[in-house]
Parts: sequence; C-alpha cells; structure tokens
Amino acid sequence: MAFISSGYNPDKPMENRITDIGPQKYDKFYPPVIAKNKGKWLYHEIIKPGVLVHVAESGDEVYTVRCGGARLMTVTHIREICEIADKYCGGYVRWTTRNNVEFMVDDKAKCDALIKDLEGRKFDGGSFKLPIGGTGAGVTNIIHTQGWIHCHTPATDASGPVKATLDELFSDFQNHRLPAQLRVSLACCLNMCGAVHCSDIAILGYHRKPPLLDHEYLDKMCEIPLAIAACPTAAVKPSKVTVGDKEVKSVAVNEDRCMFCGNCYTMCPSMPLADQEGDGIVLMVGGKVSNRISMPKFSKVVVAFIPNEPPRWGTTTATIKRIVEAYAAGANKYERLGDWAERIGWERFFDKCELEFTHHLIDDFRDPAYYTWRQSTQFKF
Amino acid sequence: MPTIEFGGKSFTVDEDGFIDDYTNWSEEWVQFVKKEEGIDELNDEHKKVVSVLREYYEKNGIAPMVRVLSKVTGFKLKHIYELFPSGPGKGACKMAGLPKPTGCV
Repeated sequence: MAFISSGYNPDKPMENRITDIGPQKYDKFYPPVIAKNKGKWLYHEIIKPGVLVHVAESGDEVYTVRCGGARLMTVTHIREICEIADKYCGGYVRWTTRNNVEFMVDDKAKCDALIKDLEGRKFDGGSFKLPIGGTGAGVTNIIHTQGWIHCHTPATDASGPVKATLDELFSDFQNHRLPAQLRVSLACCLNMCGAVHCSDIAILGYHRKPPLLDHEYLDKMCEIPLAIAACPTAAVKPSKVTVGDKEVKSVAVNEDRCMFCGNCYTMCPSMPLADQEGDGIVLMVGGKVSNRISMPKFSKVVVAFIPNEPPRWGTTTATIKRIVEAYAAGANKYERLGDWAERIGWERFFDKCELEFTHHLIDDFRDPAYYTWRQSTQFKF
Repeated sequence: MPTIEFGGKSFTVDEDGFIDDYTNWSEEWVQFVKKEEGIDELNDEHKKVVSVLREYYEKNGIAPMVRVLSKVTGFKLKHIYELFPSGPGKGACKMAGLPKPTGCV
C-alpha cells in the first residue's frame, strides 16, 4: 500500500508531539452497574463454570461470563468481541489478568442469551472462539510468552504448546472437578517472562548446548564486559582470537561451567545457542502466589527435559495430563498442587505421577542448593 | 547488511541504523545520524556527549550507565533527551558509533 501520512512530519519530529499522557483512566470504561456499585459489593457466587454473579449492597446484580482467549488475537477477533459486547453488554468488555475475556450484563435473561450466543461461535477449523469457563477449581487460561512468533531467545514455542496443552485440559477449563484452582504457565526461555516460577504447573523452554561464538563480529557487535557479567556461573571470560590473519578481541566459554541459560546471548548477539535437537521443555510444579493457608511457593523442576515436538508437543501434554490426574485423584479439597506434593512428600509425588527422578533435579546452584537436600531421616521408601 | 553512502563515505549499518564497527566511525557518520535522528543543529553539548561516550567505551569496553553519563557530562537525563530525542541509547550511542544496546530493551 502506498504511504499514508498520519499528520506526523518527519522533518520536524518534535513538533506537535504529545507525550507522557499515560493510559486512559480505568473508570472511563466501567459498565454503568459497576460504576454505580464500586466498592459496595456484598458477595459473589459462581453460578456455573465460567459464569459469576456479584451482588451489591443496593441489591444490584452483575453477571460475568468469562471466556477463554488465545491471547494472540487478530483485530478481526477483537472486533467480533466488540460486536458481542455491543449486542449484549452496552459496549463494555474487560480482559482478566490471565487474558480471558469477561462480558458483564446486569440481568439473568441477558446473561442466558449471551451464553447461548457465545457457545455457538466457532472458527472454520472447529475450535470454539470464546469457550466459557476458567472459574473456580479448574484450569484457567495459560499465561504464556512470545515463542517463535516474535522473540529471539526462545528454546521452545509459546502459542503452539499452549494450544496443545489447553486442548488436552479443555474439560477442566469448563469444569470444577479439581481440589483447587490449577494455574498453568509457559515461558519459552529461562528469562521466565510471566508466571512460570510461581505456577502449579509450569512449562519452560530449555537449551542443552553452549553458545556458538562468532569471533569475527563479537567485538564489533557486543560490549564484551556485559557478556562476561551476564554469566551466572562465570563460564565466560575475555580472550584474544586470531581470525584469518587478524587478532581480534572476543570471549571464551568454559563449556564445563556453562549451563545453557542463554543470558550471554541476550547481551551479545554473537553468542547464539538455539538448537533444534538440543532445545526442549522443562516441567516445573508446585508454585503459587496466593497466601491462602500456606505461604506463596516457587515451582520446582520435576521433569528435566522433554524434546520439542511441534506442532502438538505430545510427550509434554501427556506428562501434564498425568500430573493433573494424579493431583485430582490424590489431593484434599482446597489443596493446591504444591501443598499436596509437600504433604505427601516429593518422593511420593514422583511415584504418583510416574515421573522419573534424575540427578538433574537436584539443586547444585551455589550455597542455597544445600537447603534443598534432605537433612533428615524422615522419608518414605 | 545494507551500506549507506553519505558525505562521500560509505558505512555498513544494521537494520536499526547502528554502525557495524566502532572503528569505522567518522565525522561524516555524526552528520548522517544527525539527519536520521532529526537533530536540527549540532552544538557543543551534542559533541560533549558523543566524546564522553567514545572515551568511556574505549576505556571500559561498554557504554556508560545513564547515571554515569549524566554525572560525567553534567547533563540531566531530561537534557540528554532534549539533545537526542531518541534518548541516550538509540540516539547518542548510535551517533557515537557504539554497538546497539542489548538485553530486554
């Protein structure tokens, strides 16, 4: 398409420039019933999976229908969401912190019509456009990252494994059969953008090979001290290398110390480490952020490596399904996955989930690793 | 990587317009970036920022942190943005011929 100016003048970039205005104020987009009853809510109920009602002191009710979203959305899809909001909700809609879409209406009849409409909407391939669910003791949306869509440091994809996993866990998105809510997250590298370090089940992209060194360009493209300081195990040191007939500044990587975190590549484009066979997925479990009963927990590594298997990541989804089933069968009511594993003991957890315990799972990072070993005779055979 | 002809010199740059090699920097490069960054007039303050950046990079192998740049030049961050509308990274470092900033930027 030919260029169409927005009115910006590239010859005078600072002229008529508007800056530091921040986001729009949130209350500009409140549905009237929310604006009226703000701060005066009495109680709420989950009517059925995906549908909530909040009742205010004034007696006003607001029905919320929560729908799954793919997070990565086209404008066409957003427009369709707007169209639904226009039709039933007076043009108001909101997104949750797990990227679900919530439609709100103020009476039961409108709510039923909305649900009926949403259930009928499907993509040409057959998937639900806006499946209702994600409330209560079930599996809600998966917090995830960029993957091969947009990022340059991933060890796995994001959208692909998320779709495969949610297909596998779809019945739990629409049901409340679990002991407590189960949060699943995915990050495509150890930067852990998002919530993998504090989720009930976390899918994490992982490398298994040290970076390649592009000596010819390294000093030109990188600030070498930054690449050295980026390494958590001090495997990177400065060195001089002869390329052709020229001696250039570069770095050397001690491969025995490298644990393939990829931090040096983040700082230095001449140290790429992505690898088709080497890269894959690590599974972590047992994290939570709420303070309910037990304190917040970090998730812990329970599967050291699963290969990338695009497009459906069969082994990954099967392993997750196994963990979810063992948890659903074993845990008490209100027990999060981490609470359950800590109560029965991690040796029992590996037993129940039929996971192999390998030496990779034993912490060996600096002094705190010691506290993760068992200094007790308390264990089960 | 694309090559740019400017003021009778040619420069190889990446897709963001950063120079490929610190040592290929020259006065013509400064003039080229001035045009690219929409800076009207190069004054002594621009030159001071560029020379501080180049000195620091030659000595330490990295670009200075923003607070170091502010302290050494005596310019507050706000003033650095007035000099270089794209900021110290995309504007000043580009003009000084330093490598492109990396990390989660």
